[in-house]
Amino acid sequence: MRSALMLLLGLPSALAFSGEARAAVGCTLNDPDRDIRRLFPEATGYRTDFITIDERGGEPLAREIQEKLDDAFDSIFETNDVPYAFYTVLKGTETIGFVHGVNQKGMYGGLQLILATDLEGEILEFYYQKMSSPEVKLFRDKSFTRQFQGLTLADFYDHAFRREGPVAAIRDPSRNSAQDFAATIRGLRKNLILFDAFILGWRHDAHYREVRP
Amino acid sequence: MSLIKLALKNLLRKRIRTALTVCGIAVAVGVLVSLKGFDVGYQNSLQADIDKMGYQLLVTAKGCPYEAATLMLKGGGGLRYMDEAVYARIVSDARIDKITPQLVQTVFDPDKNDGRGGLSLFMGIDPSYLELKPWTHYRSGGWFSAPDAAEVLLGYEAAELEQRVVGDRIFIPGVDEVLTVAGVFERTGTQDDGILFMPLKTVQAMFDLDARLTGIGIKLKDIAQIHAFEEDLYDEPGIQVVSMAQVKGTIMNLVSSARVMTHAIALIAVLVAVIGVVNTVLMSVFERTKEIGVLKALGASRWDIFRVVWLETIVVCVLGGAMGGLLAILATDLVQRAIQRVLPYAPSGDLVLISPALLAAALAGTVAMGLLAGVYPAFRASSTRPVVAIRMGE
Repeated sequence: MRSALMLLLGLPSALAFSGEARAAVGCTLNDPDRDIRRLFPEATGYRTDFITIDERGGEPLAREIQEKLDDAFDSIFETNDVPYAFYTVLKGTETIGFVHGVNQKGMYGGLQLILATDLEGEILEFYYQKMSSPEVKLFRDKSFTRQFQGLTLADFYDHAFRREGPVAAIRDPSRNSAQDFAATIRGLRKNLILFDAFILGWRHDAHYREVRP
Repeated sequence: MSLIKLALKNLLRKRIRTALTVCGIAVAVGVLVSLKGFDVGYQNSLQADIDKMGYQLLVTAKGCPYEAATLMLKGGGGLRYMDEAVYARIVSDARIDKITPQLVQTVFDPDKNDGRGGLSLFMGIDPSYLELKPWTHYRSGGWFSAPDAAEVLLGYEAAELEQRVVGDRIFIPGVDEVLTVAGVFERTGTQDDGILFMPLKTVQAMFDLDARLTGIGIKLKDIAQIHAFEEDLYDEPGIQVVSMAQVKGTIMNLVSSARVMTHAIALIAVLVAVIGVVNTVLMSVFERTKEIGVLKALGASRWDIFRVVWLETIVVCVLGGAMGGLLAILATDLVQRAIQRVLPYAPSGDLVLISPALLAAALAGTVAMGLLAGVYPAFRASSTRPVVAIRMGE
C-alpha cells in the first residue's frame, strides 16, 4: 500500500532506489540474517560494527590505505566518513568468520562487492550484491566469482605491485566491460585493505613492505 | 510543617510503592504524549510532502488510483496510460498556473535483489516538471541536451547509490539501453532524491509508448477554483482527477484505524494508572488511620486532612506527568522508527512532534487526573472519626 501511494503521489521511481539509497554511503548487507546464514550455515549469530576512516585515524590512515590500494580515493564517493559495515560471525561465543562489503564505482552504476572471510582474512566467498551491466550474468557466474576463493590481501598486493600470483591469473569474464572487471579487482583489494586495517591490525603489512616497489 | 512537606514526607515513607506508581503514570503519559505528537507530526509531514510535490491535482487514466501500482508490484504490466492529447486539451486552460506531464514506466530487472529479480521504475518528464519544483537545484550538470536525448537526471541519493557523476553512463535493464548522466540534483529531502528521470520523449520512445502519459500534475492560480476545475475535467473521457487533499484524506484514513487502536490502548493505560494512584493513596490512608485520628484529635480539620491526602495524589501525578513528558521526548526517535516500520505510508520529516504546548497540556491533564483521583482517598481520610480511627489503629 505504501508503494501504491507513492505511485499516486507521482513518486514511483523512489521504489527503485529509496530502499537501497539508505545504504548508499556504506555497504550493508541487504538481509544480514539471511545472507550470513547462507555464507556461514553453522553460524548462530553475528555482530555488526560500523567503522569509518575518520574514527580510526583520519587523513593519515586514508593516505596509507590509498598507498596500499595504489590508487586515489574518489573525492565524492570515497570520503573518510563512509561507514564501512563489518559483520563478525559467531558460533556460540566463538568467532568463525567475517562478512564485509564495499561500494565501488562501476562502468554503468555502483557495484556492491561482498566478501566472506575467515579469521585470517582468506576469502571464503565473494559475490556482487548489486551490479548494473549488460554483462552482469558473466560477472555473477560462479565460474568467475569462485576464482577468488582462498585468496588473501597478500595475493592482491602481489597483483598490484608485481603483476603476478593468483589474482593476475583471473581473466575478465566479459567481452566489453573491462572497466567493471578492473573495478571489481580494485573494490576487492580496497575491501581487504580496510578489513586488514580495521579488524586484523595490519596483519598483511610485512608482505606489503616486501612487495611494494 | 507545610502541607506540601507533610505530603512529600508521607510519600517518602513507602518509597518503592510511590516510585512504582509514579512510573505507571509516567509510562501512560509518555505513550499518550507520543501518540499526540505523532498526530501532529504525521499530518505536518504529510502536508509538507504533498506541498513539495508542487501540484494540487493529479490527472490519471481512469481506474482505481491504487490499482495500477498494485498490478505493477505484482509484476504485471498493469500501468494505465492516457493519451497525450488530454494534456494538449487542458494545458491552455486559463485557470492553470503550472502543469506537467509525466510518464512512469517499469522494467523487470532480473539482476535486482541479488539476482532474484525486481522492478525498476523510471520517470519521463519535461522542463515544466522543474517549474513546479522551484526549490530543486542542480548539484552538477544540467537539463537534458535535447527533448529526446539518451540521458538521465539523477536525484541525490540515486547518484550516490549508483556512484554516478555527470558524463557517466548508466545501464537501463530490461530494455538494455545505456544512457548518459546529464545532471545530478541537490538533496531536496523529498522522494525525488531517489528518482531517475529521463526526457519524456525518451521514455515514450524507449518503451513504445508514443504519445502516452501516466499522469499530469496541475497547480492552479487560485486554489478556490479547484472544485470547479475538477468538475470540468469530469467531461474528459478516460481520465480521473485526484486532488492532493483527497490523497491526504486517503492516507489519513489508512492510518486512522491504527490511531484509534493505539489511542484506545493509551487511554486504557491512563485509566489503569489512575486506578493505581487511587489504590496507592488509599492504601496509604488505611495504613495511617491511627495517625489521621491523632491529627484530628489534636485539632486538624477535615479540610486539612483532605488537603494533605489530595496533595499527595497530585504530587504523584505531577511527578509521573513530568517523567512521562521526558520519556516521550527521549523516546521520540524510537517511536518514529517503529511508526515508519508499521505504517503503510510514512512521509519524510519528523513524524513525532512534541511541542512545549503539548507537554504543558499533558502536565495539566495529569494534574487534573490527580485532582480527580485524589478525591475519594482524601474524602475517606477526612471523614474518619478520631476516636474510631485511633481505636482501629491500635
